[in-house]
Amino acid sequence: MWQRRAFLQAAGAGFAASLMPRQSLALERTALVFASAVQTAKGRYGAVLLGEAGELIASIDLPDRGHDVTISRAAGRGVVFARQPGTFAVVFDPAGQEAPLTLTSVTGRHFFGHGVFSPDGRLLYATESDFDAAQGVVGIYDATDGYRRLGEFPTHGTGPHEMLLMPDGVTLVVANGGIETHPDYGRSELNIETMDPSVVFIDRRDGALVGQLRLDGGLHQLSIRHMAIDARSRVWFGCQYKGAPSQSPQLVGYASMDGVIKLINLPNDTLRDLRNYVGSVAASADGNTIAISSPEGDLLVAIDADAGQPRLVQALRSGCGLAADGAGFVASSGMGELIGVGENERAPQHYDFQFDNHMLRV
Amino acid sequence: MRILLIAVMMLALGGGAQGQSLPKPMAAEAVLRAAVVDVIRPSVIRFDAVSRGLKSAVGSLCAEPDADGLAIARQEFGQVVVAYGKVDFLRLGPLMEDNRADRLFFWPDRRGIGLKQVQAILAEQDALATDLAGLKAKSVAVQGLGALEFVLFGTGSESLSGAEGAFRCAYGSAIAANIAEIAKALVAGWYLPNGVADRLQAPRAEYADYRSNIEALEEIVGLVAHGSEALRDKHLKPFMASAEKAAAPKLAAFWRSGLTMDFVRANIEGMRALVALSGVARAVGEKDQGLDNTIDFEFRNAIRALDLVTLPVAEAVADDKQAKALDYLVLVTGSLQGIVGEQLSAALGLSVGFSALDGD
Repeated sequence: MWQRRAFLQAAGAGFAASLMPRQSLALERTALVFASAVQTAKGRYGAVLLGEAGELIASIDLPDRGHDVTISRAAGRGVVFARQPGTFAVVFDPAGQEAPLTLTSVTGRHFFGHGVFSPDGRLLYATESDFDAAQGVVGIYDATDGYRRLGEFPTHGTGPHEMLLMPDGVTLVVANGGIETHPDYGRSELNIETMDPSVVFIDRRDGALVGQLRLDGGLHQLSIRHMAIDARSRVWFGCQYKGAPSQSPQLVGYASMDGVIKLINLPNDTLRDLRNYVGSVAASADGNTIAISSPEGDLLVAIDADAGQPRLVQALRSGCGLAADGAGFVASSGMGELIGVGENERAPQHYDFQFDNHMLRV
Repeated sequence: MRILLIAVMMLALGGGAQGQSLPKPMAAEAVLRAAVVDVIRPSVIRFDAVSRGLKSAVGSLCAEPDADGLAIARQEFGQVVVAYGKVDFLRLGPLMEDNRADRLFFWPDRRGIGLKQVQAILAEQDALATDLAGLKAKSVAVQGLGALEFVLFGTGSESLSGAEGAFRCAYGSAIAANIAEIAKALVAGWYLPNGVADRLQAPRAEYADYRSNIEALEEIVGLVAHGSEALRDKHLKPFMASAEKAAAPKLAAFWRSGLTMDFVRANIEGMRALVALSGVARAVGEKDQGLDNTIDFEFRNAIRALDLVTLPVAEAVADDKQAKALDYLVLVTGSLQGIVGEQLSAALGLSVGFSALDGD
């Protein structure tokens, strides 16, 4: 890992490959719609930008496995973050006019695969790990000054994962997964007995803790990891259970800024087929439907946000990435599939690369 | 230069691949049955047997403390560490219930929590720790193999051969009883009617854990792929020198008892046996029939490298040849992870989907 860091520093901003030249034309003709980290058929890592019809607009090489992508129209930039415990984030110009810029995490920190821009595009926030202290932090980067790191504030938990900006434009919501890892020990999970997941709301202006919510009822081994925000500004979350495999706790719930946190009751057969693992969460365009995925259970579930009940269940082998699309969702898979979910009647498409866990609707 | 030397060593270690006539492909059902009946159950039965021996030996030492009794208890501990090395990577079913894996062996312990807590128990003569129920209520870090190693081999352990070690021995006895109780639960779990063994051997759509042969085979293959990764990340790299850090032999598991490499070897041998005896790498199509031999070839390379590491780990990391052998072991675990987790998975038609490959 540290050799990778040294390599990246030596390689500098020019490391990540730029957009493929022939495809700058495609950019002029079509709107960029989807973005995802991928693994190529040759086992290399990158990120792709897809158009409305699923056509490949552009691709970017990455030095290692990426995870989530965030894009700011205001900044005119997108960022793909290294999957934890990666130490790079690549800033790219979706229009292909500027060379990508590779950011390297500062000493003692690594990225967690997720981040968001401020509404005006001037600041980038990334979930990071202060791994020696086993504490999560939000790294703050100045998008107007070469993405210089301005500082950080705590996430008040261990293993922060997804982070979203609330509709108020001011509050960040962070899922502290609760699991301690350290680069010296690879992906080993170091604190399963004592893990302490939470959802936190943080004022992005000063890092003040607005509120921290934990599930009660002996669910401290339920790692809260991915989120989406519904039409009522409730933060829906999906969990991964790290306790005894014979147990099947509920895995999906919502939290709100007025202090509510609760799990919804999915039917037993749906819960069983999620196999204690939710890989991503997305909200429909109108915010009234929440989709969740389980690549472990090869299952996609669309949930009526008001009723708190599944509207439909759909199988997709290794399906994980989800994004709003028209009346429904698109889902991507680790087998290179892109399909329509629910009311979305998009014809399935197959690519010669494998999609990572998250799909961004731009 | 270091890379070149490793490459030379790979050639030296990797010489002599033996051409073998390949067995016929096996059906998934036969693979799953063999995994349970020929590998997993015998491994937990062995662990249970030696754990009872350890419990008995520590009990005898406490009843009649002397140097011979201490030597016997230490020997029995070694047997348990080796037997556990063949169970530790079987991260499914009973081992994953009730925090048993952490209670048996809380590792890695990055911040040395276990050592601090064990030393506090000994310093304060915490009577709760000498009672099985009291001990089980305590931190996972003070009730398993790591804690017992400190009791039997750590600073002050020589007191166990006399009356002044009475409290320490009583604490050790409670730990040994806890290990034996967990070992017994593992055996019970693997023989439970309609339990994990039955579900793994005969998956059904309505089961939560194994809905199909594919999912059951993914579990078996995953044990070796993830086991190789865990061996490297938890039991090799943390104590070895690298470009960024000096060797730190006290970060090795079981360094006090000198059992570090015995545990590593047991882990390698256990994974090798799972692949070989289950026949999982022979349950593939014609074009992939060489995989079984390729995997075993890597296991044999690992064992040859282990044969070169003869010194206690603190000296091995300072010895050029033995440090190279450890470096090579790291390479082999990476190779095994790739061959088993990617090539074998693909050959078996398992989900090698990018998203499902490992969680995030």
